[in-house]
Amino acid sequence: MTNPDILIVGAGHNGLVAAAYLAKAGKQVLVLEQHAIAGGQLAGRRLAAGATVPALHPAGHLRPVIVQELGLARHGLNGAVADAAYISAAAHGESLRLMSSATDAATLDAIRHHSARDAARWPEFIAFMTTATSFLDAAYGTSMPRLPKVALLGEGLPLASLALKLRRLGGKDMFRVIRSFSMSSIELAEEFFESEALQAAIAGVAIHGVTLGSMSAGTGFTLIHNWLNRGGLAHRGTPGGPQALTDALVKAVRANGGEVRTNAGVAQILVEQQRVTGVRLASGETLKSAMVVSSADPRSTLLGLVGAPELPPEFVWQTQSIRMRGSVAKVFVETDGQHGLPQGTIAVAPSLRYLERAYDAAKYGEISAQPYLEVTTAGDHVHIHFQCAPHALRGTDWEAARPVLEQRAVETLATYYPAFKGSVRSMQSVTPVDLEQAWGLTEGDLNHGQLILDQVFFMRPLPGWSNHRTPIDGLYLCGSGMHGGGGISGHAGRNAARAILQD
Amino acid sequence: MASNTYDALVIGAGHNGMIAAAYLARAGKKVCVLERREIVGGAAVTEEIFPGYRFSEFSYVVSLLRPEIIRDLQLPKHGLKILPLPSTVTPFDNGDYLAGWDDHDLTRREIYRHSPRDAEAYDEYSRVMARAAKAIKPIIGLVPPDPSSLSWRDMKGLLKLAQFGRSLSEHELYRIAKLVTQSSADLLEEWFELDALKGTKAASGIIGTYLGPRSPGTAYVLLHHYMGEIDGAFRAWGFAKNGTGGVSAAIASSARALGVEIRTSAAVDKVIVRGGRAAGVALANGDELSAKVVMSAADPKRSFLQFVDQQHFPEDFVQAIRRFRVRGSSGKVNIALSGLPDFTCLPGEGPLHRGAISISPSIEYVERAFDEAKYGQFSRQPYMDIIIPSMIDRDMAPPGHHVMSCFVQYAPYDIEGGWDDAKKEAFGETVISTIEKYAPNIRQVMVGKQVITPHDIERIAGITGGNIFHGELLLHQLFFLRPAPQWADFRTPLPGYYFGAAGAHPGGGVMGAAGKMAATEILKDWQ
Repeated sequence: MTNPDILIVGAGHNGLVAAAYLAKAGKQVLVLEQHAIAGGQLAGRRLAAGATVPALHPAGHLRPVIVQELGLARHGLNGAVADAAYISAAAHGESLRLMSSATDAATLDAIRHHSARDAARWPEFIAFMTTATSFLDAAYGTSMPRLPKVALLGEGLPLASLALKLRRLGGKDMFRVIRSFSMSSIELAEEFFESEALQAAIAGVAIHGVTLGSMSAGTGFTLIHNWLNRGGLAHRGTPGGPQALTDALVKAVRANGGEVRTNAGVAQILVEQQRVTGVRLASGETLKSAMVVSSADPRSTLLGLVGAPELPPEFVWQTQSIRMRGSVAKVFVETDGQHGLPQGTIAVAPSLRYLERAYDAAKYGEISAQPYLEVTTAGDHVHIHFQCAPHALRGTDWEAARPVLEQRAVETLATYYPAFKGSVRSMQSVTPVDLEQAWGLTEGDLNHGQLILDQVFFMRPLPGWSNHRTPIDGLYLCGSGMHGGGGISGHAGRNAARAILQD
Repeated sequence: MASNTYDALVIGAGHNGMIAAAYLARAGKKVCVLERREIVGGAAVTEEIFPGYRFSEFSYVVSLLRPEIIRDLQLPKHGLKILPLPSTVTPFDNGDYLAGWDDHDLTRREIYRHSPRDAEAYDEYSRVMARAAKAIKPIIGLVPPDPSSLSWRDMKGLLKLAQFGRSLSEHELYRIAKLVTQSSADLLEEWFELDALKGTKAASGIIGTYLGPRSPGTAYVLLHHYMGEIDGAFRAWGFAKNGTGGVSAAIASSARALGVEIRTSAAVDKVIVRGGRAAGVALANGDELSAKVVMSAADPKRSFLQFVDQQHFPEDFVQAIRRFRVRGSSGKVNIALSGLPDFTCLPGEGPLHRGAISISPSIEYVERAFDEAKYGQFSRQPYMDIIIPSMIDRDMAPPGHHVMSCFVQYAPYDIEGGWDDAKKEAFGETVISTIEKYAPNIRQVMVGKQVITPHDIERIAGITGGNIFHGELLLHQLFFLRPAPQWADFRTPLPGYYFGAAGAHPGGGVMGAAGKMAATEILKDWQ
């Protein structure tokens, strides 16, 4: 492509979604990806240490509306996915096996084993989560305006219809949804259930990927957020693996005349008089364009690729104080197949205090001695999500601490599945520092910015800048750090494309 | 024997109850306030715990009491006198200290001594917080509308709210949105580097809450306490002449002057309901009083789950009140002294004795104190706000002697295994030994101590859960959700029964706003 209208930095799912929508609207789009393969967090990497590791997430699902609008089925993405089992591990076969369904008999039996009352209330909980997630989905699909200057037609009408949707829930449900956002996952779970095993199983999903504890205000919101992106408690497998999702998006971009260039890392976003003029690649090559859209996180885009000197001081200060603080690590284990782990999503979340204690460690720069784990298997391979493993460790660094991480991951899982320990053949781990170096995630934050109440909706990534625009004319943000972002959904990319086409 | 028929009955002679009564009487209503205890004041009382030593037993500083109430009820004329607390001193473990004075430049210079960068930031921080507090202040005087209702009154309320929103600048709007959702630690770390400064400021974000400085929502509580500061310079917190009981006495005297009858030792047993309306109350001693309206200034649990039979409320409402969080988290240790504690950071009698002394060396110190509380233990190294009222008001203690008030967090209501004398003793001991670290002579000058746990607050002041705000200041327990969705306008599902205390909008802190607004709503409905 000789002179593209739009350059897109990063071929993660949001970058590709934005690219596909813009290309579909007839723009000449060029996506620039630093690595050899597209996919961002859904692609594997070679780490500084030399190890090669697979995708960070066992699965990922774009919102149905995106799959449909971009006709991704035509490009090989099979949308239909069955619900999977969510297993909250407990000693001596007491594990709680749940399907995210109001009617599944086995699930109701499993819950009844802990509390008949809870089993009776399970359908009500599923119904509430369905209401809450559908509202959040609608909110994520609606661009957040710049308060109080709401552009009446462009933003006012969609907002009004969102407000209407909320009111249509009627008094009781409406308040439940509003309240649940600022509640802690414990408070929310306690409103439905009495059995702690069940409460903790749910709280595990709530704190997944965020540096918060089961007792933190706002984990009611993250529960709904994670439930929305997963489509329930468990990760639903992606047919063809996460790579299939990326491949379909790349095909969609190309089918609409767009181009995706790999091994083309952007070193700098070029700016003249507050206007973007193009990018300079790591290779030294420069590409001219009056419009650049970055799917990298806000801080690395603005302070790294653009640079503080080009930005208003107040804005720089705000950007520096976006809270990233990732505390997730991954451990990939190759076993001899005799790991004895069940199919589905396994959570090590035995009690509410256990989850809160796992988070306490992160507050003081320590690796949780008893971590919250979420485990999925693919044949002989075991994928362990480890929390908390804070990016900034006290009194040590991540190269020294890597063995501690791997040992605690194995020991913890083995206490619930003893066969696992003996089955381990080899291990590779991804520390928060690896996430920063190999995936370009500032402070190893998978969500490009913590999902805390003061960093969501019209305050994501920064109050007043939730509309994908930046102080630099022609520079837009479309990554997970934006409204709708966090997790695999594509909302942020779709909203960004809409905002860009409006201009 | 007075007649037992009134226009309005008010349950509880706390400051909100008496203020509501006074406003009703001012509008010409015949009002009677019923108080369980033999003294008025609720949690704002002064009592002689040890002969000659008088303590503000629970609530110990004043600043949030609304100016318009002080004017309307002519409280100064009735003896209200606020004596300023000129300083806050935070002692360090290394013998140094950080002082904040009622003079901005003095404070700035003190901060500069530790961190020039923070001294810079302090100017801007003070401006921003003062602006935010001023901007949000109108909300306090606003009757929360019900966003789910289509009634004319609520629509008008929502419109008012929208207009208020538009009246703010983009900056103010975002600042407030952030303050309402942020943790005080995140807020302060954006501004400052000095641990003691962050720790001391963060502390006012956790007072009365079951939250730590890293919990989202604590920035709002910080702002809630900041309201007191906006009329004064650094810390407009004051101490009432004759203790906090002096405030109650002034309100009571003003109310009586307006014709309010206040009956003490008159515990309410039940609210009498006739024809689906509150028609009066039955006292524990069997007496019955009748009135057109009844207002409760007790906490939400007793107001709705104890005084009134559940059948008079919809199930949703009862559920909401049951869920309403009222876990107390603070304790108090009142100490009688034969002389002044000598602080190593500022030896000898000095200005620090006339102000507040804050044990909050860092955010981590306070957060770790909370960590213990959330697992059901009292803090082994607690946050403390200490004042010596007798330095400001000599009448509080015998000549040469002193009284010292220590507000302590955290002391969880639902401590593991429950509170007993041994735990209470251990808690008191923890407080003394913590003070001893900074003032080694404390044990020599101590002649008596009263330890107050949330259970004592519940038992003596009658606040369920012993939460000093009648209900935790959590985001989902504020504004139109306080005390319950759809019932935040001081009305209740039972016609003729009203609710005007700290458990209603805008929450606790000896503000009186709830009592005043409840009275206003009662008069609106009067026919």
